[in-house]
Amino acid sequence: MNKISTRQATFVYIVTGIILIIFMIPIYLILASSLKPSADMFSRPPTVFFTPTLQHYVDLFTLRPFHQNILNSLIVTLGSTAFSVTVGSLGAFALSRIRHPRINDAAFWILSMRMFPPIAVVVPYYIIFKSVGLLDTPLALIIVYSTANIPLTVWLMKGFFDEVPEALEEAAQVDGYGIVEIFYRITLPLAAPGLAVCAVFCFIFSWNEFLFALMLTGSSAQTATVAVMSFWSSDAVQWGRIMAGSFIILIPGVIFVLTCQKWLVKGLTLGSVK
Amino acid sequence: MASVSLTNVVKAFGAFKVVHGVDLDITDGEFVVLLGPSGCGKTTTLRMVAGLEDVSGGEICIAGEVINDRPPKDRKIAMVFQNYALYPHMTVRQNMEFALKPQKLSKAEVDAKIAGVAGMLGLDALLQRKPAQLSGGQRQRVAMARAMVRTPEVFLFDEPLSNLDAKLRTQVRMEIAKLHKQLGTTVIYVTHDQVEAMTLADKIVIMKDGYIEQIGSPEEVFAHPKNLFVATFIGSPSMNLFRMTVERGDKGPVLSSAAFTIAAPVDKSGKLTPGQAVTLGIRPSDVRLARAGEPGAIEARVEVVEYLGVEALVDLRVGTQEFIAQIPAGERPAPDETVKVVFNQAGLHLFDSESGQAL
Amino acid sequence: MGYVNRRNRTIAGVFLLPTVAVLFLTTIYPMLYALYLSFRNYDLAKPFIPRIFVGLANFQEVLTSGPFMHSMWITFKLMAVTLTFQFVIGVGLALLVTQRLPGMAAIRTLLLIPMMISPVIVGLVWLFIYFPELGYLNYFIGLIGINPIPWITSTQWALTAIAIADIWQWTPFVMMGTAAALQSLSPEPYEAALIDGNSRIDVFLYVTLPQLKPVLISLLFLRAIDAFKIYDIIFVLTKGGPGDATETIALYIYRQSFTFWRMGVGAAASFVSLIIISVLITLFFKSMQKSAVAR
Repeated sequence: MNKISTRQATFVYIVTGIILIIFMIPIYLILASSLKPSADMFSRPPTVFFTPTLQHYVDLFTLRPFHQNILNSLIVTLGSTAFSVTVGSLGAFALSRIRHPRINDAAFWILSMRMFPPIAVVVPYYIIFKSVGLLDTPLALIIVYSTANIPLTVWLMKGFFDEVPEALEEAAQVDGYGIVEIFYRITLPLAAPGLAVCAVFCFIFSWNEFLFALMLTGSSAQTATVAVMSFWSSDAVQWGRIMAGSFIILIPGVIFVLTCQKWLVKGLTLGSVK
Repeated sequence: MASVSLTNVVKAFGAFKVVHGVDLDITDGEFVVLLGPSGCGKTTTLRMVAGLEDVSGGEICIAGEVINDRPPKDRKIAMVFQNYALYPHMTVRQNMEFALKPQKLSKAEVDAKIAGVAGMLGLDALLQRKPAQLSGGQRQRVAMARAMVRTPEVFLFDEPLSNLDAKLRTQVRMEIAKLHKQLGTTVIYVTHDQVEAMTLADKIVIMKDGYIEQIGSPEEVFAHPKNLFVATFIGSPSMNLFRMTVERGDKGPVLSSAAFTIAAPVDKSGKLTPGQAVTLGIRPSDVRLARAGEPGAIEARVEVVEYLGVEALVDLRVGTQEFIAQIPAGERPAPDETVKVVFNQAGLHLFDSESGQAL
Repeated sequence: MGYVNRRNRTIAGVFLLPTVAVLFLTTIYPMLYALYLSFRNYDLAKPFIPRIFVGLANFQEVLTSGPFMHSMWITFKLMAVTLTFQFVIGVGLALLVTQRLPGMAAIRTLLLIPMMISPVIVGLVWLFIYFPELGYLNYFIGLIGINPIPWITSTQWALTAIAIADIWQWTPFVMMGTAAALQSLSPEPYEAALIDGNSRIDVFLYVTLPQLKPVLISLLFLRAIDAFKIYDIIFVLTKGGPGDATETIALYIYRQSFTFWRMGVGAAASFVSLIIISVLITLFFKSMQKSAVAR
């Protein structure tokens, strides 16, 4: 973009600075409130300088079984990520390599599976899982999250596979390798960065999900997001505990933003922005 | 080592045919070049031999066996790809090992083969490098090495030199010729570069629009082009063409146009009938300046002179007709001069204007 | 059959089959099940009552009764408001943060954080901000002399409160997409316009905006598809209330299914929403293919 003068630069800094502060306030509040003693939580004027306490974090793990919730979240998240990336990258390879005039329609169809409103299928899921005894198990959530994660993986990995030259596969074919071997010895290693990106997206989605986790789990498979929500009850709201739990939950997302920013655009806009 | 034969081989995508019934016999140890402009079907033909494209019709045999439906690995071939297709995540040695692995050889045999080929191609020092750390010429060499370790019966080359700069291309071209002499393996080589074809081939197959236009040795296709396409495609600068009409002359038929009239070549006169439209072809190297008083000389105006050192290319004009003469640089005229030129009788080519076929 | 064709079939069978099978079992089957339910009178609270076939009665109730139409209206109103603000602020912000100034890259990164936060956490922190009596927002607007606003407890303000939280979370998405597109634009037209002496506003309107159009349209559909599904933030802040003031389609389905246990009606409403979102998805794909062609 074209050069700008010092006066204009000052203007840009002031405006973006104000917007940045406004956007950061809620995040600051989560962190600050998770460290504030309960007595100071709503003091007027708000205390900016307070003695931070880890009491709320301690409470999370002693008064509540939050470690169990995090473990559930991790089981569900890692399970769904591993399953989705495995199945999805296989499907993506097929879509990338099969020559057929309607292959793009197939890719769009698979992607559209991700976009349907979860609420529309939560009732059938509830009934189906109830009848097969999967309600309130991590497996139920692993299956459900995969319905969103597989289409995303297929869509993103197709782009990565498209960039691996087919001549490499043909060379291996002439050398005497079968298609399955070619896939995991040549194509997959070359698309490894894509695999990592997909895994991260699957992880974040599953980790953050709330609606299905709320509907399909009870006490034993409860994930971290549902647990934090359950700290909220109108008579005795434990804000410190809610904010401490919230802060723990938002850590993976923040790490992702800070480390893999360049993949964020591709993943979140489904490749519609290059 | 093996012979290869293609019988009426067709490639069609739906109703769209890209290769129309190609017939080709390649004897054991022959170096055959498929030559033609892009889109002529040469690469598709090669890929059918390799097994990377299905054959829509006809038969391909290697060593006398029909291999139409066999996977590439069972065809005893090795291929060098246009962009080399080196596995970027493997070192040079690993690339070669990977190519050998399906043959299930002992470690000692693999090492011996790699050492042998690496030595032959001067790759010893590069074995631990990855493709990204190699220059274009080195990559090309690794691609050949990877094909050679497999000791195939037939080598397939798909435009292997097109990514190299001009100097390197000449060098590698000579190396390929040397390797072929050394190994004696059958080679099918695809290129659009006529110099590569002329210098490497035992037999050139010239293709256009999915048809074979001519098969022959480099000398044959240069000296006796079967049709106008081959005549103009082979040779640089391209053959001069004149549209002429056959007329009756005092001593047999003559060819005449608005610009000039010359006697028809004696050996062709039997095939000519008065009024017939023919195309006269003459290579620039067969046009020379006339000696003083030489009969049958044509007067032409010099438009442009391109000095090339040993030789000069002279753009000439007779009436509306332009043509090029390739003459010793010392004899070159100045622009705008008027000169007299004659055509070497042995260099005259005649084509039927309608069919384009040589007469 | 030739070798290459056989290879293609192997690819289709070995590689594509797992995806198709899993998606069928986990997506198509539940959707068909929802379709089945939508023709039945199914009360989850009374599982022993037979699931009677009721024909189109559920669909009739959904489409003719007030509450569903009301939820549609709320959904689209919310969508219109949030998308407008997200695009105006987001595009403006993108123009600012793509200036070549030190520190801008860091600011841009920080601004991306909200959209990576779980929506339920977003709901909770805004609940903290809006909280009746205690919330910080009313305290701060009190400092500049504005009377406390019953953000989430009044039918008048609840939807605005939800919109603000959603705008906070998703404006960064529009900024990110637009900024990425802006940075991929060729600098030459700008240099040409600069030499021609056009004003900054003219350059934006006649050079930048037309080039951004395909990207903005794609982003718009992506946001619209998401906005149509909005659930978590509302669930945390108002649960659709007060009354039905913030009851979007997703909340309507939730209430019918899990508050009144009328699974059939919920399923019928789900199906209607699936049809509407299919239209949005198709439009998104069309716009994506179009911009791919234009590129």
